[in-house]
Amino acid sequence: MHLSNQTMKVGFVKKVEALSGTSVRRCFQCGKCSAGCPMSGFMEHPPNRIVRLLQLGQGDRVLAGRSIWYCASCETCTTRCPNKVNLASIMDALRKLSWDADGPSKESYVQLANRLFIENIRSYGRQYELRLGAAFNMKSGQFLKDLMLGPKLLSRGKLKMFHSKNKNLPEIEAIFSRIEEMRKKGEAL
Amino acid sequence: MTAAKKHIMHYSYYPGCSLHASGREYDISTRALFKALRLGLQEVPDWFCCGATPAHNVDELLSLSLCAKNLSLAEEVDGDLAVACAACFSRLKTTQHHLKKDDVKRRQVETAIDGPAALGKPVKHILEILARDFGLARLEESVKKPLLGLKVACYYGCLLTRPPEVPDLDDCEDPSIMEDILRALGAEQVKWSHRMECCGANFTLSRPGVVLKLSNAILESAQEAGADCIMVACPLCHGNLDIRQQKIEAKNQTSYDTPIFYITQLAALAMGVAADKLGFESVIVDPRPLLTDKQLI
Repeated sequence: MHLSNQTMKVGFVKKVEALSGTSVRRCFQCGKCSAGCPMSGFMEHPPNRIVRLLQLGQGDRVLAGRSIWYCASCETCTTRCPNKVNLASIMDALRKLSWDADGPSKESYVQLANRLFIENIRSYGRQYELRLGAAFNMKSGQFLKDLMLGPKLLSRGKLKMFHSKNKNLPEIEAIFSRIEEMRKKGEAL
Repeated sequence: MTAAKKHIMHYSYYPGCSLHASGREYDISTRALFKALRLGLQEVPDWFCCGATPAHNVDELLSLSLCAKNLSLAEEVDGDLAVACAACFSRLKTTQHHLKKDDVKRRQVETAIDGPAALGKPVKHILEILARDFGLARLEESVKKPLLGLKVACYYGCLLTRPPEVPDLDDCEDPSIMEDILRALGAEQVKWSHRMECCGANFTLSRPGVVLKLSNAILESAQEAGADCIMVACPLCHGNLDIRQQKIEAKNQTSYDTPIFYITQLAALAMGVAADKLGFESVIVDPRPLLTDKQLI
């Protein structure tokens, strides 16, 4: 079947391809990616269908769903694709587009965890796991989540009460700002 | 004695965030093992987070830039870069791989880090250092206390081998590097089905239900194969299989009581390092009863 550029909404497909550095159009729907995907049982659209929806110009449905946020980045799909479609990179690209658009995705917890993780880098340089867990529980309203685990991990030295700031913090902040600047000027996606 | 004579080889070292916190026994045992093998290990000063999965999940340029900056910090220390965490290893290797072949991305990253991307230093996982640089024959010769009678399930997880061109470590569907090392240490290995399956990785924070399901399948498969324990080379895999194990047992009304070892803990033990120097007290599923039972401690 020949798909017109119009049906495919080729502009969106090209954006995904530019971000991911791989081809969406090369997929011929063999389904190996979904067969090996450990997370497909948690997704409303398994990986091969995500690509098919993109080919059919239905990227909006993909961005609004939760499948992209349930990809574990295990790279099994990319490893096994007979057409060398880097599906794990396509998932990264789709998450970025959904993230930037701050759109109607059905998954909030994974996005919240990602946001807190990245904020931790900007604030501390290294991950501060105690703060990460506590902030996640506060912001997701799951105050009791893993509550029993905290003291066990603290007493074993696996969680630290205090966290020192990294000496490269000004440099890390500069990396974040330079990237924001590049994007403002249209020099990076 | 000079440093050069004291050490057979010298490495720079990127431990990563987990090894300074929830995976502290991986760091402790890596240092103990390197010392026992007379391998030099010097931590990269003021390294910071590689961005791990969350950064590349939503912002590839940020992920590449964080790793590129860390790679340039690593240039300040002599020796190939030793990495223990499978996720850090994967991100640093991905950065080298992408930036070597994509000039546009490299230029963007160089703008972001305001300097040249240093892509020349070999990034090596601990497994490769043991099996290839140090060598299996020499490893076997160095064993002081072979791990006789210990039945181990080697668990690779995702990022040590996938996608194959990035880590370039071993076969992406049927690797053997962990089993090869284990054989040199004198332990037994079990054949099992789940050594390459995902443990749920960083869903441990956002969606622990995912981890409970996927890691349960791994523990169940190892138990069915008759393993006494599972050996890992990644702090995330360890966290999911060890820290979450009691919850997995409760949810599935089953009992595993399967100790999870880091490769470096088992290797150091075989090299004669004292058990109290390997962080066994830090883990949730205490491996000491098993090691006592097998007369290994």
